[in-house]
This record gives sequence, C-alpha cells and structure tokens, in this order.
Amino acid sequence: MITCDEFLAEFGDYLENRVPSEIRQELELHISQCRACHVLYDSALKTIRIVTDSGSFDLPQEVSEPIVDQVMARLRRERAQKP
Amino acid sequence: MSFFREVQLDDSFGPFVALKERYGFIPNLIRAQTLAPRLIEAYEKFESIALVKENALSRIQKESIVLIVAAAFQDAYTVAARAAILRSLGLSEIKIDQLLGDFRGAGLSASDIALLDFCFKLGMNGTSIDSKDIEGLRSIGYDDGSILEAVLACALTRFFSALSAGLGPDPDFEPQKVSVPVVVQKIFSPASHLHGKQGPYIRTTYQSPRTFAPFANFLKGHGFIPNLYRAQTLRPDIVEDESASIGKILMGGKALTRAQTESIFVVASSTILNTYCVAAHCNILRRYGLSPEEADQIAFDHRQSNLPEHDKIMLDFTVKLASRPFEVCLADIQKLRDSGFTDEQVLDCVALTACSNFLNIIRLGLGVEPDFELPPGFEQNKVHLPGTEARLTKDDAVIPISAAAAGDSDAGLVADAQAGNLDAFEELIRRHNSMLYRTLMAILGNPEEAQDAMQDALLSAFKHVAGFQGRSKFSTWLVSIARNTALQRLRTRKNMESLDEPAGDEEEFRPRQLRAWQDDPEQAHSKEEIRQIVERGIMGLPAKYRIAVMLRDIEQLPTEEVARQLGLSVPALKARVLRGRLMLRELLSPHFAARAGGARI
Repeated sequence: MITCDEFLAEFGDYLENRVPSEIRQELELHISQCRACHVLYDSALKTIRIVTDSGSFDLPQEVSEPIVDQVMARLRRERAQKP
Repeated sequence: MSFFREVQLDDSFGPFVALKERYGFIPNLIRAQTLAPRLIEAYEKFESIALVKENALSRIQKESIVLIVAAAFQDAYTVAARAAILRSLGLSEIKIDQLLGDFRGAGLSASDIALLDFCFKLGMNGTSIDSKDIEGLRSIGYDDGSILEAVLACALTRFFSALSAGLGPDPDFEPQKVSVPVVVQKIFSPASHLHGKQGPYIRTTYQSPRTFAPFANFLKGHGFIPNLYRAQTLRPDIVEDESASIGKILMGGKALTRAQTESIFVVASSTILNTYCVAAHCNILRRYGLSPEEADQIAFDHRQSNLPEHDKIMLDFTVKLASRPFEVCLADIQKLRDSGFTDEQVLDCVALTACSNFLNIIRLGLGVEPDFELPPGFEQNKVHLPGTEARLTKDDAVIPISAAAAGDSDAGLVADAQAGNLDAFEELIRRHNSMLYRTLMAILGNPEEAQDAMQDALLSAFKHVAGFQGRSKFSTWLVSIARNTALQRLRTRKNMESLDEPAGDEEEFRPRQLRAWQDDPEQAHSKEEIRQIVERGIMGLPAKYRIAVMLRDIEQLPTEEVARQLGLSVPALKARVLRGRLMLRELLSPHFAARAGGARI
C-alpha cells in the first residue's frame, strides 16, 4: 500500500477527480485503510462543497446595479459632451 | 560529412564507446553532433532503450520497423544505416529489398506483418490510431510490452529522420533502393473521429513520486508528472532512460536560453500538430516571463508574436524542418549562421524538433491523454497548418488572431462595444460584474474598497476595450483589468501581500486539524451563518491563496482559466489552490468537525 506522503503527493488531483485509474485504485485503497487520510479527504471535499454552495461574496444587486448605473451615466455624459 | 563540423571527443566518452561497440564505427549522424556531446548522450540512450535492449520484441523486428518507417519518409540515411544493421543480423539483401519494396509480400509471418502495418500506420498517419488497433495486436498474441516497444521503435525512427534532415550527414553505406509509396501528406490529416476507448491503451503500473526518481524530478521541476510517462510505466527502465534523454535535450543545453528552447519546442510541436506537447509547453513558457496569451501566440503563429526578429528566424527554420524536412539544405543552416546563430544553437534546434517528433509518436501510439488544455482557439488560429504553403515569406501573411474568442459567447457584444456602442458595453459589464467584484474582493479584502475599485476597473475597461485583440476570452481580459486595478491600490498600502511569488514556492503543508467532520456539516448552521464563516475563512487566507480559491471555488472557473487569469502555469496554480483549500479546511474545521474522534497523520 502507498504511504501517507505518497497519498498527499497525489491529493490535489484526486480532489479534482483528475488522477489516472491505476493511481486512483492505490489512493482508494489507502484511504480505506488510513483513517487520517480518510478524514483529510472527506473534510477537504466537504470544504470545497461548502465554499462552492455558500453564495459568498455575491454582490447584492442593490449594490452592483448603482455602480454600473453610475459608470454608464458617466460614460454617456462624456459621450454627449464630445463635439 | 554533414552540415556541421566535427570536433574530436575523448575516446573514453561513454556514448562513443557504446556506439563503437554497437557498430564498429561512429556513424556520420553522430559525428554531426560532436559540437554538443550531450545530444550524443541522449541519442545513444534513446537507441539503447528503443532498439538495442532485447526484451519483448527481437532486434530484427525493431530494426525492420525502423527500416520501413524511415523508407516511407524518404529518409535515405536511416534506411541505409538500418539495412546495414539488418544485414549484420543475418538478413539477406533480397529480404531487405523485399521489406523495402512491399513488406506484406516479403514472406514474413502474419503477426510480423500486422506489427509492421501498425507501425506504418502510426508513423504515417498516427492520428488515426485508436484503441482498436491495439486490441487487434493483442488478439494476435502481442502483449503490452511488445506494443510499447513497437511504438518506441517507431518513435525513434521519426527522431532519426528529423535529425538526418537537419544535420545532413553523408550516408555511411551505399544508399538502398526504396520503392515504398510516399504518403507523407497523410500524417497531416486532421485528427480522425476516433471511436475507440480512451487511453492509455496499454497497462500501466503505479510508480511513487517518493521513490521513483524520474517522477520525483518531474514534480520538483515542473509541478506535475506528465501523462506521457505515466503511460509507459509498464517499463520503468524505459521511463527512466527516456526522460533522462529528453531532459538532456530540453534542459541540458546552454547555447539557447530556456525561453528560446521552449519556443522552438512549442513551434516544432505546433507544426506537426503534436497537441500534447503544445499544451504542456505553452504552460511551461509561462514560467519564463511570457504571458499566457503570448505563449499561445507562439504556438499559433510565432511571426505575429512579440519575440525578437532574430528568434523568429530560428523558428522559421523550425517550421521548415518539422513540416518539409526533405527541403532542408545547407543554405538554410548558412542563413542561420549569417543571422548570428552558432552551430551549437542550430544543433539544439534540430534535436528539439526531433524530440517533438519522437514524443508525438509515443502519445499517438499509446493514446496519451493531454496534461493540459490546448490554447483556446488553437485549431482555428493555427497558421502553419501543414499543407498550407509557407506564409512565412509572404507580405500578406498577417492574419488577425481574432477571438480565442472563436468560442467566446461575448464576441458579438465585444465587437459592438469596440465600435463604440455603449449599450453593448453595458450589457457586457452587467454580465460579468459579479466576477469582477469577487476578483477585487479577493485581492483587496474589503467590500467598500472593492466597490470603489469596481468603478475604476469598469472605466478602465471602457477606455481600453478598443485595444482588446481577442487573444483571450473577454471575461479573462476583464478580470485582468480588475486585477491590475486592485494591485495598483494595494501598492499604495504598506506591507503589501505578495501575489506574484514564483511557482514552486509552495512549501509542504501539514494538516493539523484531523477531527472527522460531521456527515452533513451544513445542517448545523443557517445559510447566512455558513456564508459568514466561509467569507471570514477566505479573508483569513494570504492573498495569493485567497485569489486562487476565490476564482476556482467561489467563481468556479476551470483550472486552466484561472491559471490564465493569474498568469501562472497550471501546475503552479493547482499547487496554490490545493494549499488554499487545505488552509481553509483548517479554518473551517472548528465549525464543522464532529464532536469526538480524531486521527493522526
């Protein structure tokens, strides 16, 4: 079985589901037998899911719209003033 | 003897000793490379792994492959050399003539004919190979080891042929009569629509980057292990020698700069449609100070890039050697010398082109999946598509590289905005203002300041939209404007956080929080609580990780796109995203971990 260090070396691609099949098998075997790596994998996946679904940093429309409106008003004003 | 002068090398020079032992003399193709002994080292090792080491296939089988593929490429030098070796291995002159005339009628066994048929197809029209060809070989008794060796022999032939075209060695033996129909154009037929299984076509084995030196070196040097080598792990000895030889050619020289070397390799690969190497090495070029767009432009058409004219002359030669090897002559070499290139530099250019030919056959024969995405718009924008008559010399060769943008849904609105249509511009910025805001937040870390900077970024976008050339997607361009706006503001702050440390700076990260998380961690918190926890966590990350995680996980842009926006190579970006995610996991853990239980790593 591969070691924890070997598991961690492939970890980034494994999280992204981007490892070749022969490595996937090794990684799956490892986490089925290593609790620490299993915890790491499980919690990292959940981190990505929580962050992705959180709606964080959405700019509320009531904030974004006035910014765009202001910029466009300024551009149109400048356009109108051009000879 | 060849286009290049020979210098005396020490008789004890290892590869010379090995080659002398192998042939009883030093072939002219080797003598032509004495100015760059490391190329001879690489050559000797290639030949040793692909032809000499007896393993699944016999030497005669492998030499026969080289003979017929070289003949199909009109490579008279290699044909004469390999015919002499076959004679020394006991093949009669008649048999060799039959192989060169029509190997299917040369009295070979059905399985030998099938093997040569496969190699002929791979050498001449490699894009048409799919998993069914491999299954066909298996069904008549070839194991995966034999198939790998056949692919290697075929790849080596293409390496030989590019070398002999570019180095111009006099033949070592009387030329052979060759009557194999030449169908060279066929290699350039576009990738056919394959229906076979995804590669790699042959069995692979797991090799640990901790213990297998070549993989450790790839991780350390480039931040990833190329699929091309993973596909050959059935024979770790081959991976070891092959990667060492390619490393010598690509990285061992001092005559060319690293950026020149990579540019030549990208142009050679692009010319022969070696998409695998184009994708990988456009990424590597980013490490030498080129923007993603500039690196891609070299692959599309180096003539339209911002490289110095001097470098473009070498790249013109690369295109010729890769696409029309039979036309290369001493005058081409002389032209390079007249432009100030040394013979060592030209030799390196030839070896790099040969190397790309070698790797192209490996990736086609084994069905190697690309490590990275091709530059967007490669198919549409590629100028030197083989078969296209050399545009290099024409004055009207300027082809606007519009829209990487071929697949950019903003393209129509962008054109209108560039023509001065304010409504079109407004529509564009409304489409992308969320992404713009998140980028600003990621860098500035403060909502009020991000909103303020957004006005500046939008005005700046309008000011520069007419100059947008469509080398990237419009959204990428817009984010780069936001990024620059935010960075300008950051620079006025004290203790500016660095976003631009070089790649490879991600020291090893050791997780500390190892309590298992709840099965359904979101359940214990309201949506608003989670949003606040995540925002606090992300804002707690150092800026370079924050922006990587923001664009990848909040904005959910593909890895390649984020790498482009931040001007990083894909491996460097991946390292940052992983590190950022793991740091974030630590910060979120107190909120989402289960009450009891733990583990050690």
